[in-house]
Amino acid sequence: MLKRALPAVALLLAFFVPVVQAAPDDSLGEDIVEQTLPNGLKVVVWPDHDIPNVAQFTWFRAGGRNEYPGITGLAHYFEHMMFNGTTTLEPGEFDRIMEAAGGANNAYTSHDVTVYQDWYPVSALETIFRLEADRMANLSFDPEVIESERGVVYSERRTSVDNNNFRALMEKVQATAYLAHPYQFPVIGWPSDIENWSMEDLKTFYRTYYAPNNAVLFVVGDVDPDRIFALAEKYYGDIPAQPAPEPVTTVEPPQQGERTVVLERPGQTPMLQMAWHSGAADAQTMPALEVLMAILTDGESSVLHQALVEQQLAIETGGFVHQGFDRGLTWIYAILPPYGDPAVVEKKITSVLDAIATEGVTPAQLEKAKNMLTANYWREMATISGKAQALGTYEIFHGDYRELFDAPAAWEAVTANDVRKVATEIFRKENRTVGVLKPVAADE
Amino acid sequence: MLKMKMTAILAALLLLTACAATPEPETVAKDTGPDLQRLAKGVTLPAYETVQLPNGMQILLMEKHDVPMISFEALVRGGAVADPEGKIGTSALLADLLRRGAGDRDAMEFARTVESVGGILETSSSKEAVTVSGQFMSRDAELMIELLGDMLTEPTLARTEFDKLRARSVQQIAAMKDTSLRALTTIYGDAFLFGEHPYSRAVMGTEAGLASVTYPDIRRYFIEQFGADRTILAVVGDFDTATMRARLEEEFGGWRKAAGTLPEVSEPEPVPGNRVLLVNKPGATQTYFYIGNVGVARGYDKRAALDLVNTVFGGRFTSMLNTKLRVESGLTYGAGSRVTQYNEPGSVAIVSFTQTETTGEAIDMALGVLEQLHAEGLSPAQLASAKAYVLGQFPPELETSGGIAERLAIIAFYGLGRDDVDQYAGRVAAVEREAASAVIENVYPERGELVFVLIGDAAAIREVAASYGSVTEMQITDPRFKPAD
Repeated sequence: MLKRALPAVALLLAFFVPVVQAAPDDSLGEDIVEQTLPNGLKVVVWPDHDIPNVAQFTWFRAGGRNEYPGITGLAHYFEHMMFNGTTTLEPGEFDRIMEAAGGANNAYTSHDVTVYQDWYPVSALETIFRLEADRMANLSFDPEVIESERGVVYSERRTSVDNNNFRALMEKVQATAYLAHPYQFPVIGWPSDIENWSMEDLKTFYRTYYAPNNAVLFVVGDVDPDRIFALAEKYYGDIPAQPAPEPVTTVEPPQQGERTVVLERPGQTPMLQMAWHSGAADAQTMPALEVLMAILTDGESSVLHQALVEQQLAIETGGFVHQGFDRGLTWIYAILPPYGDPAVVEKKITSVLDAIATEGVTPAQLEKAKNMLTANYWREMATISGKAQALGTYEIFHGDYRELFDAPAAWEAVTANDVRKVATEIFRKENRTVGVLKPVAADE
Repeated sequence: MLKMKMTAILAALLLLTACAATPEPETVAKDTGPDLQRLAKGVTLPAYETVQLPNGMQILLMEKHDVPMISFEALVRGGAVADPEGKIGTSALLADLLRRGAGDRDAMEFARTVESVGGILETSSSKEAVTVSGQFMSRDAELMIELLGDMLTEPTLARTEFDKLRARSVQQIAAMKDTSLRALTTIYGDAFLFGEHPYSRAVMGTEAGLASVTYPDIRRYFIEQFGADRTILAVVGDFDTATMRARLEEEFGGWRKAAGTLPEVSEPEPVPGNRVLLVNKPGATQTYFYIGNVGVARGYDKRAALDLVNTVFGGRFTSMLNTKLRVESGLTYGAGSRVTQYNEPGSVAIVSFTQTETTGEAIDMALGVLEQLHAEGLSPAQLASAKAYVLGQFPPELETSGGIAERLAIIAFYGLGRDDVDQYAGRVAAVEREAASAVIENVYPERGELVFVLIGDAAAIREVAASYGSVTEMQITDPRFKPAD
């Protein structure tokens, strides 16, 4: 069980998680129902009676991109605070009550959103609504709890970044690739900001972003939509709407030259990460980019696995695309053997990408990528949790959860030429940031 | 539960995990208490067929037609306990090699065939078995059977692939030491706890162990430790049982038996007294710790009570450990307890991490929670809460064909029968406080009989480590997970 973790990457990687089965079916999703309360809270319900359980995800449009210097990490810290007591419940009661009713929960924060996830037996339905609405309406700000939670977040940072060379390098690459846009900030926050944000910062953030009109509630599982709408009205109906948050207007200017960042840290294993500016989640070219990345990085027969791992230039390689509200990065990484030379690997990756840009991909590669994407899609549709995540992704980033059901057709429509075009457009040298981790001997 | 085989880095990134825990819930859900009676009805396994082939292979078949997919899980008895002496990681290498070419297909062709139809085919080793699992669209059932059959009965085991895999496996461990100390904590912990016993072996191998595995070792392992009489295969999904059965009988009916004997594994003895292993990672800003001893086997007859006790002690967010170390004190991002169970007793351990400066404080606090567990047992409220939690979180484990296939295989592997699922909810609901106390007494070690493993900056925590018992020290760069003899 994850617990209140963070960022985009973990998220993207979590997509590879198990989940199993499911099949193309024209009727998929036709029993989904939605309603919007007068205060702006949108509620989407997808009945699924396979198991007597429910997955309930609450998405807030609040993440690292809503931060600025001095309060970096605040969205993520806030996610922690949402478990730490309200004016009606003592700190810890939220979890105690939920678990005693048979439920489990988690949450994550990314550059774009904060998502609260509950998984529970349907017998706990009303309890969960009461708990979730309570913390949207009545969060309390106890100075002692705030200090203690600072320590928890610092511990999380030490584990996930400071003692993890891969994540430490990602943080530097992300910060180097963006000069203007707030995607430059690490979701977990810079250490000095973790130490210094104030009570007032927290209150402002809560008021601004934790409003019903800035959230969407997804309920998937063994439920009756009418009951869900009644519960939503009963528990969320009185929470007042707030003025819409200030939009993020900064647009990252086009990158006009390669950037590099080198990180020297104790360790044995060199690492290479390359990141290119690409599109937002709803970019027209996104299905083609997904197909391209599947060809490059998915599975042992993928182009980069064959070029790097099978040639013993890397221990492992992979990639992912940050799909958010604004233009994200497309990443390719390689973990090298202790004697490995990042320059050699960088050259190899560049030549592979150049070859795709000039020669394109084969029909077999294209077909394989589409089959893999589609199979993974149906695997995600096989669990209530996967469905809740998928609904949220499409509703929030594409503006309509129904687009979820167009995804297989969108991949199917991608041509070899689309793939070559998107490769040409994105994998340009002047558009990339290259990060190298140089392991150095530890002193003692 | 993650099922896909993940590489070290992915695993590290996903391991943002924290375990969970529960304090004194005096005010547990007053108005909307858990509907225990309803929860206790639980879920049961649908009907399935068991087929015993004359060569000893056991096949379990369950139809599930909600979606046109088929999942399977094969367990081949052996695994790390069958690694040749000193050659830790042999079974893991063999498991990896199974995917690297079989039948007429070389490594690349094999991977491409699976991936071209969007299939999944994974292999791994564990302490007691080599696992092959996968999932295909039901329209590709024939291909699935062919690939699985080739992989189990005639893998190529190519020398060039072996050389590459061995080198990479060694390098991956080095990489984990730079990225995944949290995942390594239990590996060092169990290695030190079990000492000379085969359960001490890190499934993925050690840098030293892998380096000593030769190509003939792998071939020998395959001949001696692989075969029909070692194998349980569970298949769940969209197929017709009679047809699937006939095809599998045809595919596996002629498979040979394992030529060697399965190594006998003795019952591990609990470690008497306190012992401390300090793994030095210079410059680490955090200390990762493990505190445990030998626990109980998978066949333990009070398993339901054990699940409840561990849920309360360190198995969920509001557990006693997480409440104390994280929620109340902010010393860590996560603290929990972990119970592993094999044919013989596995380990039971507290696992957490904290910044270097608070190492002693966090460990003392964890020990205090352990003492509290022994002194007070479970309160009625804790017990009721744990029952609701365990029952409420159980159905998703059987939500997918993959989840069911895994469970069927495990049931057969440990000879547990379908009651392990069907009766589980009833057993959980029936546990009383006395039974929980008995489990605490039997399974959880007490102060004075603990094995400690600390990974961190030795210069800063050496003194703290020594306060818990006699210390053995090793370097993180040492190519083993326990001190050299």
